[in-house]
Amino acid sequence: MRKLYLLFFATFTVWACSSNSAPSNEADTQLAKVEGSLDEAASIKVDDDIINDILQSIPSPLEISLLIKEVGSYYNKADLNDHGKVSTYSTNFDKALNLGIYGTDLGYANIYNKNQDALNYLNSVQNLAEGLTIGQFFDYATLKSLAESADQNLDALLRTTTANFEKINYHLRQQKREHLSILLLTGGWLEAVYLTTLVHQRTNNEVLREKIGEQKIVLDRILLVLDVYKTRNGFAELIADLKKLQSIYNQIEIETVYEEPTMVEKDGVLVVVDNTKSVVNITDRDIDTITSLTKSIRNKIIN
Amino acid sequence: MKRLIFWIALLFGTLFSTWSVMGQCNSELYVNKSMKSLESGFQYSKSYRIDGRGGNRRKVEYTCVFSKDTNYQIRITGKDGAAQGLIGTLYDSKRNELVSSFYNNKFLEGWTFKCRATGIYYLSFTFKNSKSYCGAAVLAFRR
Repeated sequence: MRKLYLLFFATFTVWACSSNSAPSNEADTQLAKVEGSLDEAASIKVDDDIINDILQSIPSPLEISLLIKEVGSYYNKADLNDHGKVSTYSTNFDKALNLGIYGTDLGYANIYNKNQDALNYLNSVQNLAEGLTIGQFFDYATLKSLAESADQNLDALLRTTTANFEKINYHLRQQKREHLSILLLTGGWLEAVYLTTLVHQRTNNEVLREKIGEQKIVLDRILLVLDVYKTRNGFAELIADLKKLQSIYNQIEIETVYEEPTMVEKDGVLVVVDNTKSVVNITDRDIDTITSLTKSIRNKIIN
Repeated sequence: MKRLIFWIALLFGTLFSTWSVMGQCNSELYVNKSMKSLESGFQYSKSYRIDGRGGNRRKVEYTCVFSKDTNYQIRITGKDGAAQGLIGTLYDSKRNELVSSFYNNKFLEGWTFKCRATGIYYLSFTFKNSKSYCGAAVLAFRR
């Protein structure tokens, strides 16, 4: 009977523990600690909830792509990865990284209503997604139909594309293939930063300059997760390259001055204005180094 | 023997009811509903599953990286109808509360946050008088 009691309470304890995820800010701290200790003991298992929270926090590349268009930059096909290279990506590592890169290129082509380019990128994305056995989560038919009439359905196209990539990431995590999810997000992010640096070189736009500096926060988070998988094939070199980029970003400061927000409710809609301000302190030299490093890391991935 | 059967039945009964409650939250349904209530001009960015596991999980929290000079909109929908029982609260990196969708004793369907400082933010979902502990939220942005 005692054993039965123990079984009963043990079952409840396991269940109760599994229903509480680590709070996010503690999660970052925990992951940073684990990252440190990973150098000493490579076998430590990092809580999936912590990894998932960081993966979920990485912003959509679409935010940057829309900003690039907003500053008045023209569309240059040569800036994007060649969709025809898709067949050269043979390992899962290359497929996942380039799926992210093509995903950003697809969004970019869509924003500029470049229907044929978007369809080409859609095919490349579908090809890589199938190669990673996640093609079933990518609604190719709907996206193709929306891309063909993007001038009338741009919002729906962008929404559906984002939702499809989100679904792919979600299922990769469900399948315990988080290492592919972080590669996909890294590729997507890197391509967005690369495009921002290119357009900044041409326009010297102040908003883009600050946007490049802000990526310090995202890069730190990407590296936290990549480091967990550093013993997997290909990861060590990618981490080393991104750490070179991080060493430049470490010199950049983001200053924040806190002020109470103000709030207005209008017709049941609550609008809050953040009165806290942030300033990115970044030099021309930092920008140049980030531009050239981003280009070389991206070229290594796509070629 | 009767006692043994009683305890085994209790154990399996409890586990079954727990699993069935946990299995009832199909957040995906509410993602689509939330998406439909986004204001025009806002571009969909992410979805957040809010599964309180039948009341066993009191808070579901996500980390976000928000950019200055960008407006972010959250829309929440739950199984109890509209945003009933679900509260979405935004905190900055120092845990200062910036906005909550439970406002003047009402469950609002969301809020818009005009961000002026790039950084880490925490998006926290809690439950108040919820029957289902189930829903979803979507995040959208506009420059």
